[in-house]
Amino acid sequence: MPLSAQGESDERSVGAARERSAGRVVLEARGITKRFGTVVANDHIDLTVRAGELHAVLGENGAGKTTLMRILFGELQPDEGEIYLDGQRVRFRSPRDALRHGIGMVHQERKLIPAHTALENIILGHPKTGAILNLREAEREVSALCERYGFRVPLHAKVWQLSEGEKQIVEILKELYHGARILILDEPTSVLSPPEIVKLLESLTRMAKEDLAVIPFITHKLPVVLEHCDRVTILRRGRVVAEMETRHATEQTLAAAMVGREVVLQLERVEVPLGDPIVRVQDLWVRDDRGLFAVQGLSFEIRAGEILGIAGVAGNGQEPLAEALAGLRPVERGTITLDSIDITHAPVLERWRRGLGYIPTERREVGSIPTFSLVDNVLLNYHFEREFSRWGILASGQARELTERILREYSVVAAGPNAPARSLSGGNLQKVILGRVLSRKPRFLIACLPTHGLDVGAAEFVQRKILEAKQSGTAVLLISEDLDEILALSDRIAAIYEGQFTGIVPASEASKELVGELMAGLRRERV
Amino acid sequence: MRAVIGDYTIRVERRADLRWWHTTLASVLAIVVSLFLVGFAFLRVGADPLEVYSEIVKYAFLSEFGLPQTINRATFVLLAAFALIVPLRAGLWNIGMPGQIYAATLAAFGVAYAFGAKRSVNVQLPGELIIPLMFLAALAAGAVYGAIAGFLRGRFQVNEIVTTMMLNWAMLWIVAHMIREGGPFMGRTAEGEGFTLPTSLRLPQILGVPLTVYIALALAVLLTWFLAKTTLGYRIRTYGESPRAAEYAGIDATRISTLVFALGGLLAGLAGYHYFAAVPGVFKIPKNYADFGDFSFYGLITGLIARNNPIAAIPVAVLFGGVSGGARFMQGKLRLAFGIDYALLGVLMIMMVAFQALAHYSVRVERQAAVPRPQLELERGESRVESPRH
Repeated sequence: MPLSAQGESDERSVGAARERSAGRVVLEARGITKRFGTVVANDHIDLTVRAGELHAVLGENGAGKTTLMRILFGELQPDEGEIYLDGQRVRFRSPRDALRHGIGMVHQERKLIPAHTALENIILGHPKTGAILNLREAEREVSALCERYGFRVPLHAKVWQLSEGEKQIVEILKELYHGARILILDEPTSVLSPPEIVKLLESLTRMAKEDLAVIPFITHKLPVVLEHCDRVTILRRGRVVAEMETRHATEQTLAAAMVGREVVLQLERVEVPLGDPIVRVQDLWVRDDRGLFAVQGLSFEIRAGEILGIAGVAGNGQEPLAEALAGLRPVERGTITLDSIDITHAPVLERWRRGLGYIPTERREVGSIPTFSLVDNVLLNYHFEREFSRWGILASGQARELTERILREYSVVAAGPNAPARSLSGGNLQKVILGRVLSRKPRFLIACLPTHGLDVGAAEFVQRKILEAKQSGTAVLLISEDLDEILALSDRIAAIYEGQFTGIVPASEASKELVGELMAGLRRERV
Repeated sequence: MRAVIGDYTIRVERRADLRWWHTTLASVLAIVVSLFLVGFAFLRVGADPLEVYSEIVKYAFLSEFGLPQTINRATFVLLAAFALIVPLRAGLWNIGMPGQIYAATLAAFGVAYAFGAKRSVNVQLPGELIIPLMFLAALAAGAVYGAIAGFLRGRFQVNEIVTTMMLNWAMLWIVAHMIREGGPFMGRTAEGEGFTLPTSLRLPQILGVPLTVYIALALAVLLTWFLAKTTLGYRIRTYGESPRAAEYAGIDATRISTLVFALGGLLAGLAGYHYFAAVPGVFKIPKNYADFGDFSFYGLITGLIARNNPIAAIPVAVLFGGVSGGARFMQGKLRLAFGIDYALLGVLMIMMVAFQALAHYSVRVERQAAVPRPQLELERGESRVESPRH
């Protein structure tokens, strides 16, 4: 049921309403087709982008967004179809070639050199940067760009010191400095916190006013699309299923077009009678890798059947907090008790044995081993259990059975229990990790960004499983940068800012505005 | 990567998974290519490459003296390869075989010395008691000497390559101190070598080769099983693939790295015991002990070529053990220039390592179906004027 495309006449009225110089077509892709073997990744895709517009491309993982993006910035050559820039047919042989024509690309993974400053990263590779660096002149130019679009980045800070949001801005600045007029952004909101997203989108809107075309490619975060983008093109299974103006769309219609069926966008909290406190944390102080206190005197408790959501901008101490609770980071001061037993300095395995479950943020680096089979990956949380290690020999039959059960119960799409973890998509891998951790029936579950980067369907599944764990009496600490998720699932919400709680509010009293202000450090409740 | 030549397309792609026959084929090809290339060097010095190669094979694998030498050397190389493989499965590099080998050798000879073995080659000592003691002392000393580097790496993140290299130098000087003039292990002839092991303390042989050869072969199977099937092996592999995932899974970094280096040292120690206390005709720490330190690095190459697979290391070790002895013999017999045997070995090693890397890629040549050229459709009656310049 492709939604009807909007006509040309509508375009005029919107352009007028938004008072933008939109109208001139700057980028047009016609009939782009790309096959990989028998798979048609892009099937006659048309995309028209005008100057001064924020034109989002939506689609689930595997809908063909990445392929289209790679074609647009010259990394892949289409099998069929043409690309026109300002009405001229163009052919890009490489990303460099595309950039020469004014197409810049900001990837989802950062491609910056952490040990260099923001400014050095921005000017790296620019033709003007010859053998001798003229940093002062470059700085003037970059500062001018910042001012024009309202970016605020410490240009002389090393990149590793920057937040995710700042790093992304550095990448955007880099593309602009190198002359991009059309900016493609891959999942620009995925690593950002809500305030950072708002800031970024304001800047992008400002950029769009300056006659730049901005094309974000987005998997989730539909509200963002509705609020800030002018038009959307929606892909499903390699085809354009709809192209529309966002003012004619709702979150439901967008999601339905992406997935091809009606979806539940956000599960609702389930009320269960709370049990005894399972976890108690008192005056916890934890250092980060640089030796600074990233967690400063946090105290909280979580009861059986309760979800405590930690809302915060990335890098405000959530990660060190989770690691300290899981035993991966030493505690400087304070205590952690699990079922009234002090585990502040207990080794990792003792915590797991006492009923801890931990879903780490980094699925592929920490939560799994890409080259290992799924069975061996499941063993990460079981190798120390007697049933799985008899006389020092792995009980491979047992492990295989458990893995098969997880694959079945979590409807994981995989070639089988012996498939290597790297062959799984992010969503399926997360299901395996979740299934492995929840199969231990943890008393206390730490879930870090559990739905981060997953498409709508997988995210819904993961959230449902976390709610099920809660219903069976698990105490859950939910760390997420997705404020909507936190608000929807948590019983209480703790806002974290610079390692301290700025407030812990019950779900009934929490609003997006209140929590947003708390996590931005603009306001403090009595904790 | 793709190249189009005429109607043919040549595709070079990285293989998704590497099968054992890919690597086997790569090794065989590497040997053929090396022999071909080094053949030119032999032609240059006036020797017939075919004669050279047949002399090497005849000596190393078919002669009465050469074959045991090949087997004993191969065992030494194989055990040194194990000493690389076990830590490397945990992602750590053991470059300390010479140090570990001599720590073990000194320990074994130390036990013999303590029982008065230095007095005479013919002194009658209770071998059934002392030989096992020497054996265990060797393993323990190798393990301890190896564990130092592993502990430092696990506990304090001290680079294990640097530590093991430094420990090698320390141990080589200790050996010099022990066997040279005035040292406690100095031989009776005072020629800068250690005392000779009494006949009663020599390891028994089966079918003309010492027991250690069989132990090494059994270890290839045992290590494969250990790494694949045991919980400890799983933890070692996990740590090797991703130290951060290992930490998440509660695997202690210090314990694992100390353990793998202790195991590596133990295996290197066994190599030391084998060559200096069990191989017929040696039975002492020789004057050129440092050369055997270098020889243990063949184990490093062997481990790399065998891609960390203990069983695959066996044929590679046999090849190097055989060629190193056979080439030296051939060089003497055919009166060729000094060093040409090393040239052969060097080219072999480089080629085998290079071909292992190439085995990751598949090359396919495809012939494209001829694309029908678009025929210009001419209007009836229209004449077509060929360009004069074409």
